[in-house]
Amino acid sequence: MSAAVPISTPGSPLVRRRIGWTVAAAVALLVAVVLSLAVGARPVAPGQVLDALLHDDQSRDALVVRDMRLPRTLIGLMVGAALGLAGTVLQGLTRNPIGDPGILGISQGASLGVVAAITLAGVQTLTGFVWWAFAGAALASVAVYAIASRGRGGASPVKLALAGAAVNALIVAVVHAVLATHAAVLDRFRFWQVGSLSGGEHVLAAQIWPFLLVGAVMVASVARGLDALALGEDVAKGLGQNIAAVRIVGGLGATVLTGIGVAAAGPIAFIGLAVPHIARALIGGDHRWLLPMTALLGPVVLLLADTAGRVIFPPGEVPSGVMTALIGVPFLIALVRRRKAVAA
Amino acid sequence: MSTTLSSRPGVRPAGYALVRAGRGSFLVHRRATATALVLTLLLAAACLAYLCVGKSFVAPGEALKAVFGQPTDAELVVGTLRLPRMTVGLLVGAAFGVAGALIQTVARNPLASPDIIGVSQGASALTVGALTFGVTSYAVLPYVSVLGGLLAAVLVYAFAWRGGLHATRFVLIGIGFAVALRSLSHLFMTKGDYLVAQQAQVWMTGSLNGRGWAEATPLAWTLLALLPFIGWAARAQRTVSMDDDTATALGVRLNRARLGLALLGVLLASVATGAAGPVDFVALLAPQLARRVTRTAQIPLLCSALTGALVVVLADLLGRKLFEPTELPVGVLTAAVGAPYLIWLIIRGRTGGRA
Repeated sequence: MSAAVPISTPGSPLVRRRIGWTVAAAVALLVAVVLSLAVGARPVAPGQVLDALLHDDQSRDALVVRDMRLPRTLIGLMVGAALGLAGTVLQGLTRNPIGDPGILGISQGASLGVVAAITLAGVQTLTGFVWWAFAGAALASVAVYAIASRGRGGASPVKLALAGAAVNALIVAVVHAVLATHAAVLDRFRFWQVGSLSGGEHVLAAQIWPFLLVGAVMVASVARGLDALALGEDVAKGLGQNIAAVRIVGGLGATVLTGIGVAAAGPIAFIGLAVPHIARALIGGDHRWLLPMTALLGPVVLLLADTAGRVIFPPGEVPSGVMTALIGVPFLIALVRRRKAVAA
Repeated sequence: MSTTLSSRPGVRPAGYALVRAGRGSFLVHRRATATALVLTLLLAAACLAYLCVGKSFVAPGEALKAVFGQPTDAELVVGTLRLPRMTVGLLVGAAFGVAGALIQTVARNPLASPDIIGVSQGASALTVGALTFGVTSYAVLPYVSVLGGLLAAVLVYAFAWRGGLHATRFVLIGIGFAVALRSLSHLFMTKGDYLVAQQAQVWMTGSLNGRGWAEATPLAWTLLALLPFIGWAARAQRTVSMDDDTATALGVRLNRARLGLALLGVLLASVATGAAGPVDFVALLAPQLARRVTRTAQIPLLCSALTGALVVVLADLLGRKLFEPTELPVGVLTAAVGAPYLIWLIIRGRTGGRA
């Protein structure tokens, strides 16, 4: 495994550039939020959006914005930030450019939780799925870490990545086997599987923000550790980092974040994988900048995708999961091509 | 671990045996050879079990009679149904195994495989598109999916090329296309009617149901034609797995070797996908299993092929028996067969952690 390792050489992107891009990302996020509140089958002018949020009027526009689009936008914000952060941390921990919640089996763990919820407990509502998805994601992460940390050399990046891939494969098999033999479960599950923000409810938004906060704090606390890990384990140890602690705290944080992301919106691919690379291409590999950047860019991609999906083929909606790909892929390609070497 | 011989006679790199054949001689990796032999025996046993077990049990002796064309009562069950289907499974598994090994070598990443860099998704998108727009002939679909896989690969390659094929860039662009093409398949699936969607879903899982000589024969010829190239690949692998600076210093034409290996991997994956659909995880797991057992520096191609074949044959056997009379597509079970073994190998962890 010889993934390129980012080294902050002197004279690499200046602080000014980082601040510039971070501000730009924040502005982009603001625009994405306004669009998400204003655009749809019933367009509402931005001024009226603000009115609707501030005043308790009962006009139809205000109701659409407050009851339908506001929760959807909030969920998009949180899920996008959660997946972006989770992807960044997992890529850092496994030192693998394609390490993300999907490939490492954590998203699948959440899916397994949802399948179990429908099959065993007859859960039907999104708010009911949350805890199951959480439990599933946690179970998958613990399994991956337990497998990877056995044997010689502890949880090395390659072992983490491979254990993730193996656990992912195993869970996919179980989920498929259940779906192939339980038609009713498949019928409920396929709607969740597409990945969408449209099921968002106020209750759900209220339920998940504390977890987003906890997860974000956890991953922020290991930012320096991830920078050190990027230089190799021996160097990290020499720099006084407790590698096991970084892996466990970072991994737990990523699990919590993936869990809420998948629970609230279904397995939305691509954000956890691509947003960290897009961010790295803009501001380099320093995790203290990278983590906030991905927390801003994740929701930008997700909200824009969700908004575009509402209007691209009226009257139907294209699920966000499909639109993230159509919007994000050209970006990823352009940025990856621009860099001489892509660090991960 | 390079395998250059020191100039002194009788000095061999550790773990290698010198084989003399007439005036020529070559080095053989002992453990890899032993592994290949054991895998071959296991595969033979799995094949026999495959032919015997099913809705009706056939005694091993009768099954072998049917294979070798002796008159027997099991002619229909074994010769017409199980044998051709098993042959497709064997070939598909072997092709995916080698394809995965090559792509992982080029990408220098144990997580890279045809279903991650867009080949499988390209094949799926074009096939599902064809299904949606009314092409239902099973004679045409394999070619459509091979075309889709190759098209996707050409796109990935064109976008990833920038003065060379950089490993990470190749994988990332591949993933981008994989995601986009998968979304395209999902979009196509919402456009057709319910039955077409169901057909597409089964195809996308990977299944050997109803496969026979019609699929096995062209597959066998194609793989046979690619055999010399696979032989070349085994040698080229070594140069590609060096780091760029070393390889360049040694004067290796790195880009050409990488391109050749990637192209061959894509071809193999596309052909296999055409015959059975994108059977998940075989290409990812088989090379890693093989490498961890043989403990060679490069991913061993022959052992990857044997492992892939073994995984697919066992998975299809389980898929037919597990929930009788419901048959599970082989793609559902390949992971269930391969993943536990990979996990066990990681836990036992005697191999170092190089990709």
